[in-house]
Amino acid sequence: MSDSNPLKIITYLISGFFLILLAALFKLQILEGKKYDQIAENNIVRIKVTFPIRGEIYDHKFRPIATNKPSFNLYITPGRIRNKETVINFVSGDFNMDREEIRKVIHENRFRLHQDILLIQNIPYEKMIRTSEFLNYYPSLDFKTEAIREYAFPNHFTGHLGRINEKEYLEKKDLGYTINSYLGKNGLEQSYETILRGKNGYNVIQVDASGKYLQFFKHNLDKPAQNGADLILSIDNDLQNYVVDILPPKERSAVVVMDTETGEILAYVSKPDFDLNIFSSNISQEDWNKISNDESKPMLDRVIHGTYPPGSVYKPILATLGLESGTILPETKLADCTGGLLIGDRFFKCWWEKGHGRLNVTEAIKVSCDVFFYDLSTKLSLAQMGDFTKLNMLTVKTGIDLPGERSGFFPTREWYVETYGKYTSIIGQKVNLAIGQGEILTTPLQICAYFAALANDGVWKRPHLLKKSISKNANQPYEIYEQKLPVSDENMKLIQHALWKAVNERYGTGTAASVGGVDVCGKTGSAENHMGDETHSWFAGYAIGRNYKISLVVFLENAGHGGSISAPLAGKIIQFYNGLEK
Amino acid sequence: MRNFDWFIFILLLCLILFGVIAIYSASANKIGDDLEVENYYIKQIFWVFISLILLYLIFKTPYNLIEILVVPAYFLTIILLVLVLFLPEIKGAHRWIPLGLMNFQPSELAKLIVILMISKVISGQHLSGTQILTRSILVVILPVILILLEPDLGTALTLVLSLFAILVVSDLPSLYLIIMLGLLFSIVTSFSIIAFLIFILIFIYLLFRINLSKIVIAFAVTVNTFFFIITPIIWNSLKDYQQNRILSFLNPMRDPFGVGYQIIQSKIAIGSGGLLGKGFLSGTQKNMNFLPEHHTDFIFSVIGEEFGFFGCTILLLFYFLFLYRIARKISSLKRKEFRYASVGILAYLSFQIFVNIGMTIGIVPTTGIPLPFASYGGSNLLINVLAVGLILKFINERSIFN
Repeated sequence: MSDSNPLKIITYLISGFFLILLAALFKLQILEGKKYDQIAENNIVRIKVTFPIRGEIYDHKFRPIATNKPSFNLYITPGRIRNKETVINFVSGDFNMDREEIRKVIHENRFRLHQDILLIQNIPYEKMIRTSEFLNYYPSLDFKTEAIREYAFPNHFTGHLGRINEKEYLEKKDLGYTINSYLGKNGLEQSYETILRGKNGYNVIQVDASGKYLQFFKHNLDKPAQNGADLILSIDNDLQNYVVDILPPKERSAVVVMDTETGEILAYVSKPDFDLNIFSSNISQEDWNKISNDESKPMLDRVIHGTYPPGSVYKPILATLGLESGTILPETKLADCTGGLLIGDRFFKCWWEKGHGRLNVTEAIKVSCDVFFYDLSTKLSLAQMGDFTKLNMLTVKTGIDLPGERSGFFPTREWYVETYGKYTSIIGQKVNLAIGQGEILTTPLQICAYFAALANDGVWKRPHLLKKSISKNANQPYEIYEQKLPVSDENMKLIQHALWKAVNERYGTGTAASVGGVDVCGKTGSAENHMGDETHSWFAGYAIGRNYKISLVVFLENAGHGGSISAPLAGKIIQFYNGLEK
Repeated sequence: MRNFDWFIFILLLCLILFGVIAIYSASANKIGDDLEVENYYIKQIFWVFISLILLYLIFKTPYNLIEILVVPAYFLTIILLVLVLFLPEIKGAHRWIPLGLMNFQPSELAKLIVILMISKVISGQHLSGTQILTRSILVVILPVILILLEPDLGTALTLVLSLFAILVVSDLPSLYLIIMLGLLFSIVTSFSIIAFLIFILIFIYLLFRINLSKIVIAFAVTVNTFFFIITPIIWNSLKDYQQNRILSFLNPMRDPFGVGYQIIQSKIAIGSGGLLGKGFLSGTQKNMNFLPEHHTDFIFSVIGEEFGFFGCTILLLFYFLFLYRIARKISSLKRKEFRYASVGILAYLSFQIFVNIGMTIGIVPTTGIPLPFASYGGSNLLINVLAVGLILKFINERSIFN
C-alpha cells in the first residue's frame, strides 16, 4: 500500500466530519435557530423538581409529637436581581432581616443564578398579604408556601431540623437535597433522616410564554415524589408530660422509663428543656444566645449526652461481680461497719455514721452500706471491675437510635498512672469506685437499661424510641436487639430480692418509691461529685404490674439524697403509669 | 527555531485562547450590575503556561532520548492505570489520581504513550502483516482493558481508533483492515439479525471478489458471527450508566435528569445562538445549571450560544486548518515511527473534536470526552499540547535530515 493514499483517506474523513458538523450546526443555528431561541427565551423545557412531604412523628397511640404545618417563605433568585441595594433595602426594611445577612446570602449563592434561595421562613400571613403587592417591583423575590416542623412539646429526643450548610449540601446534593433543604440536625430527625425525608420526584414541563402546554419533546417521564415515612414512637405522651410536670422546675434532671421486655422507651425527659419550634424558622440571635449561654444548659440531653458518677445504683453490679467471681458467697459477711472503714492509713466513711455492723450482700444492698462494698473492692482488681462494668453494658454505648450518645468512662491503671503519676494509690481509687464515685461516669440511659436487664433475669435489651415506621407501602418495625449479661440465675434472684428489700422493707433506702399493688424493686444513689456541694440524686429500678414490666431511672443533678429526692418521684411515676395501664 | 512550524503553533494558541475566553464566559455570572467570575479561567491560564513550557522542553529534547524513554514510560503508564483502580472513586469512576493541585488522569497519559509505543514496535523493517497486527494489539489491549475498568469508555474508544488509524497507514495489508472493519460491522449490526445477514452476504461477496480461499472466508465468517453473538452479552454486562449513555443518545428524553437532558439543553443553547450569537458574556442558558459541565465537556455549548454560527464556523475552521496542516506535514515525514505516531495523534485529536462537538449538538452519543485545547482541565490540556509538541518535533527533525 502506498504511503500517500491512506493519508488522503484520513484527510477526506476529517474533511467529511467537519462538513457534517458544519451542516448540523447550520441546521441547528440557522434553520431551527428561531425555534430554539424561543425555547431558550421562555425556558420552555424545564424540569420541576417536586419535593416529598417529610414524615411525621407520633407517640404509640398515634398522638402527634412532630408534625408539619404550612409556612410562608420568602425566596430570592440571584439572577433576577436588578438592583442589589434596593432589594436589600426592601427586605431589611419590611422583613426585619439584617442587611449584612442578606448580602451574605446573595454572595454565597452568586453562582446559583437561577436557583431560588430561601431567605426568610415562617412569615406571618398578614405580613405576606401586605407585602406581596410590592413584590412586583422586585422580580428576584417570591413567596412560596411550604411546610415547616411543629413540635408538640419541648423534648430532647426528636431533635430538630436545620438549614443545610454548604458542606452538607456538597455531600448530599446527589441524594436530592437542594441549597434550601432542611434536614435533621440531631435527635430522631437526624438518625431517621433518610426515611423521614422520602424521595424527590419531578415533572417535565413544556409551556410557552402564555402558559400553553407544548410538545416539543414527547415524553411520559413525570415521576411523583415519594413522601417520607411516619415514625411511630414507643413514647407515651401522657407519661412523658406527667414526668415533665412533676420534676422540680429549677432542677437539672433526667428521667427514662423503659419497657423492659422490648427496650422500648416510654418516657424520655431531660430538664431544663427549650422550645424546639424556635429552630423551625430562622432562629434569632437573641433566642440563640439565651439558650446557648444559659448556665443550666437546656440544650444538653442529660439522658445520653450527660455522664455522671452513678453512686450507689452501681452497687448491684459490684455485688454481682463479687458473687460471680466467687469472692463472696450469698451469706458471706464482710468488714464490720462502724460508720466507716480504715483501709491503709485512710478512714473511708459510710453514709450511715452510726454504722451498719457486719452484713451479707443482700442486707448491704438493701441499706446501701458503703463499708461492705469498700471491703469487697479490696478483694477485686481494678481491671476486673472495669471489665465487668463493661460486660453489663455500662460505660459502653447502648446503641439507642439517637445520634451522639456518649459511652461514659471507667478508669484503668494506665489511666491513673498517666493522670496522677506513678505513685497514686490504686486501692484508694478502687474503694471510691466501689460505691460508684470518683472517675466512673455513666449516662442515665445506661443505668435504666441495666435495671431493665435485671427485671428480665439478666437479658439486656437495646433501648430504642422507634416502634415502627409507616409509609404508603410498608410497615417497618424496629428490630429488637438483646444480649445476656454475665450473671447466673441464682445470683440474679439474689440481686432482685435485695432490690425488692431496698424498696419494700423497713430501713431499705428506697422505700419512698414503693407503690401499693405494684412490685417495685430498685436502688437509690447519692453520688458526691465536683459539680456542687449537694450529691447527685439517683433512683433506678423496675416495677412489675399486672400486665407490664417497666424499668426507670430518675436522676437529678446536685439535688440531694436519692432516697429523699429521686425515690418519691419514681414512686409517683410508677403510680401514674400503673393508672394508665389499668 | 528555524524549522519550527509556526503555522501549527499559532493555530494551537488561537484554539487555546478561544477556550480560555469561553471558560471565562462559562464561569461568569451577572447579579444586577455585578459580574461574578469563578476562577476556572485563571487555573486554565496557569496550565496553559505549564503546557507551553513542556512543549518547548519536548521540542528541545533529542528524539533519541525520548525514544529510550518510551518503553519505561509505557510500563509506568500501565502501573498508574492499575494504581488508579485502587484509589477511591471520584464522581463514580476510578479515573483520577488526586495530586492536590490537580486530579491527574493516567488515561490521558496513556493515549500519548500507547501511540508512541505502537509506532515504535511496528516500525521495524520486514515485519509481516500478522506481526504488525499482533504486536500492536498486544501493546493496546492491556491499557484499553484497564481504562474500560475505570470505567472510561470514551478514552478506550479513542485508543482503539488511534490504533486503527495507525494500521491504515502502516505496512499492514488491506485484507486485514477489511476483516477488522467487518468485525466492527458485525458489532454494530448485532442488534438486528436482518441487518447482520445483509452485511454478512455483502462481506462474503467482497472476500470472494479479492480471491480468498474458502477456508479463510469460512474462518472470517465464523469470527464475525462470534462477534455478532458476543456483543449483546457484553452489552448486558455494561454498567447501567454506560448503557444509559448509549440509550440516551438514541432517545434523549428517556433520562431527563441525566445525559438526555444535558443534550437537549445544550442543543437549545447552541440553537438559540443563531447566526451571530448573543454576544460575549450574554449567554442565558449557560447559567441555568442545566449544564453542570459547561466549562469542561460542554464548553462548545457556551461558544455556540454566545458566538453563534459565525463563531462556531471560525472555531471549526481553526480546528480544520490545524488538523489539515498536520495531515499535510505527515505525508512528508520519512521516518515510519514519526509518521505512525503523528497519525495516531492526529486521529485521536480529530476523533475527540468530532465526538465532543457532535455530542453538544446531539449527533454523537455522550462519552465524556472534552474538547481538545478548549475545555477546562489540566491533564487533558497538558497531554494534548505535548502531543502537538511531538508532532512539531517530528516535522523539525525531518528538516534536519533534509
